Amino acid sequence: MNKAAFSITGGLVAFSMLLTLGACGPAQTPTPVTVRETVEVLVTPTAGPQEPVTITFWHSYNEVSPENDMLVNTVIPMFEEQHPNIRIEPLTVPWEEFLRKLSTSMAGGVAPDVARLDIIWVPQLADMGALTALDEAMPDFDQYANAVFPGPLASNFWNGHYYGLPMDTNTKVWIYNQQMYDAAGIAGPPHTMDDLAGQCAAIKAVNPDAYLFAADGTWAWVMLPWIWSFGGDITDPDVTRATGYLNGPNTVAAYEFWLEMYNDGCFAPVVLGSGIDPFTGLAQGLYASIDNGPWTYPIIQSQFPDMEPHASLFPAGPGGSIDVVGGEDIVLFQQSDHPEEAMEFIRFVLSQEYQLQMAQVGQLPVRPDLIQSDYIANHPYYGIFLEQLRTSRSRTAHPRWQEMDEIITNAGQLILRGEMTPQEALDSAAAQIDAILAE
Amino acid sequence: MRRSALRDSLVAYAFLLPGFLFLAVWVVYPMLKALQISFYDWSILPGQVSRFVGLGNYVRALHDPLFWLSLKNTVAYALVTVSGQLLLGLIIALLLDRVTKGRVFFRAAYYLPVVTSWVVVSLLFKYLFNSSPSGFVNYLLVDVLHVMSAYVPWLSEPETAFVAIYSLGIWKGVGWTMVIFLAALDTIPTEFYDAASIDGAGRWQIIRLIVLPLLIPTVVIVLIMLTFGAFQAYVQVALITQGGPLHRTEVLLSYMYTRAFRDLDFGYAAALSYVLICLVFILGRLQLRMLRSEPVY
Repeated sequence: MNKAAFSITGGLVAFSMLLTLGACGPAQTPTPVTVRETVEVLVTPTAGPQEPVTITFWHSYNEVSPENDMLVNTVIPMFEEQHPNIRIEPLTVPWEEFLRKLSTSMAGGVAPDVARLDIIWVPQLADMGALTALDEAMPDFDQYANAVFPGPLASNFWNGHYYGLPMDTNTKVWIYNQQMYDAAGIAGPPHTMDDLAGQCAAIKAVNPDAYLFAADGTWAWVMLPWIWSFGGDITDPDVTRATGYLNGPNTVAAYEFWLEMYNDGCFAPVVLGSGIDPFTGLAQGLYASIDNGPWTYPIIQSQFPDMEPHASLFPAGPGGSIDVVGGEDIVLFQQSDHPEEAMEFIRFVLSQEYQLQMAQVGQLPVRPDLIQSDYIANHPYYGIFLEQLRTSRSRTAHPRWQEMDEIITNAGQLILRGEMTPQEALDSAAAQIDAILAE
Repeated sequence: MRRSALRDSLVAYAFLLPGFLFLAVWVVYPMLKALQISFYDWSILPGQVSRFVGLGNYVRALHDPLFWLSLKNTVAYALVTVSGQLLLGLIIALLLDRVTKGRVFFRAAYYLPVVTSWVVVSLLFKYLFNSSPSGFVNYLLVDVLHVMSAYVPWLSEPETAFVAIYSLGIWKGVGWTMVIFLAALDTIPTEFYDAASIDGAGRWQIIRLIVLPLLIPTVVIVLIMLTFGAFQAYVQVALITQGGPLHRTEVLLSYMYTRAFRDLDFGYAAALSYVLICLVFILGRLQLRMLRSEPVY
C-alpha cells in the first residue's frame, strides 16, 4: 500500500470512528422529544358533544411528592370538572433538565401550552420570544395582577410587558437549632449582624468543630441577603451598570464580614463545596443556623423527625433585614395551539381555591387576601416567611441573569479562597456584569 | 457476467441502505445542521430569524479564556487517562495471558466497570471522594492507613478533584483495553514463543522483542479509540464537580453543554463542537502517521 493511499484511508477510518463515537457521545445523543397530543375541535353546527382540548402543563414538582399528588389528584380534577371541554396533561420535568428539554421541544415546535417556571427564567425566555405577553393576551389581566403580591409579579416583567403571573412564592428566613443555642448560653436568634458576630465564640466553646452558620455556595441566592442587608446591591435600579453597586462600599463590607467569619471558623467550609450539607448539619448539631426556605421544614421532618427547627427574621444590617424572593411563575407559550383554554387554566391557578389547596403542601400563596384565611393564619411556620416577604427583594430581572449569577458566584469563591481581596474580586465582577449589560 | 455483477452490487447497496439511512438521519444530518448553526447567532425558535455571523463564533472561542482552560483540562485528561488505561490494560493482559486458573473470573472482574453506567459510577466516585471526614477515601487514607494526617477537601480544589476524575476514567476503561490486548495476544502464533524459547530467550526478552512489536497495530487502534473517548469526557465532570470550582475542572463538552443548554447560546456551542471535531480528527491522523509500522513478520 503506498503512502498517500494509506494516509487517506487512515484519515477516513479516523473520521468514521469519530462519527461512530460522536453518535454514542452525550453531545450527539438524540434527545427524546415529547410529542404532544393535539386534539382538533370540530366547531360545526351539527357537532355533538365536543372532544376536550388538551393543555400540556410542565412543572418541576417531584413525581413522588405531596405537591405533585395534590396537583394531579385534587387540583387538576377540580379544574377539569369546572371545564369539561379542557383536559390538563401535567408533566414533571426536573429543574436541572428543564431548560434543556424546553429548548429541544421549542426547536421542534412542540413546546408545552403552559409551564410553571422558576422566576429567574422568565426574562430569558421572554427575550427569546418564546412567551406570550399576558398583559396583551388576557383582557382581564389587570384583575389578576392586582390580586397578587407586587414582588413576585415583578419577576414576570420584561421589556415593557408582563409575560406571566406568579404561581407560588417563597423567601428564606433565619432557621436555627435551639438546643445548640441553649448549650452555648445564647439567649435567642441574632437581630443584627453585630449580634450574629458576637455569638460565634460561644458556639465554638461548646464544640470547636461546630459552626455558627452554614450555606452551600456563593451564588446570588446565598449572598444577596447579606449584600442587601448591608445596604449594597448588584446594579443600579434601572439595571444599567454594576460598577458603583456590586463593588460599592456596602457590598464590599458584606463580603468582608463573610470573609472574616469564614476565616475565623464561624461560617462553615461547605460554602466552598466541602463538608456536610446545611440541613443535615443543622439537624445534627453541627451548624447552629442556616438561611433557608419553607421546604426546610418538610425536609427536616422527614429525615430528622427528632429535630424541631426554629425561625426568625434574617439578621438586620445597615440596610435592614432583607432576604431574597424565590418562587415560580406560570407562563403561556407562543407555540400553544389553544391559548384561550390555556389562559383559562392560568386564571384557575391564580384563584383562591387553587392557592389554598397548594398552600397545604408547602406552596406559599401569592394572593395577599389569603393571608387572613384561617389556614394561613394558623399555620405553624408560614407566618415568619410572610413577615420576611414584606422586605424581601427579587433578583435582577434580566435575560442573562444566570451568567451574572455565575460571575457573582466566582467572585465569592475567589474571595473566600483568599485569591483576591473583596474589593479586587468585586471590581472585576462589576466590570464583567457591566459588559453584559452594555450589550 | 457483467449483468450479474451489477445485480450483485445492487443487492449489496440494498443491504447497505437501512444502515446508511440511519446514519444519515441521526449522524450526518445533525452534524451538517450543527455546522450551519455554528455560523449563526442561532435562535432555537422555529420561524425566528437567526443572525449570520460568519466565523464570529470561532473567533470568539479564540479569545475565550474558559475555552482555553477547558481545552487544557481536556488534553490533560486525555494524556493521563489514555496512558493509564493503555499501560495498566497491557500489564493486566500480559499477566492474565499467563494465568491458567481463574482467567475467566479475572477477565470478568476487570471488565465489569466497563459495562457499568457512567452515571452510577460517577455518583459513586463523588461519594467516595466526599470532602468530609466521613468520606470513604478520607477515612481510608487518614483513619485506616494513616498515610495522611489531615482530611482532604477532594472536590473543592481542582488538583484533588482531578485525582477523582482521572482515577474514575482509568478504572472504568482498563477492562476494555485489557480485553482488546488479550484478543491480540491470542493471535500471536505459539510457534514464535517456542522458537524463542529454544533460542534461549527469557520471558522479558520474549515480551520485548516478540510480543510488543506484534501488538503495535493494536496499540495504535486502542490509542486512537481511547483518545477519541477522552476528548468526549462529559458525564464524570458534569456529575462529580459540575466543572467547578471556578470552572477549573471544566472540560470541552461540559463547557459546551453550559453554553448551549443554560445560556441557550447554540451558535457558540456548535462552533465549539466543530473545534473539537477538527482537533480530534487532526490528532487521530497524527497518531496513525506517527505510530504506523509495517508488520514485523
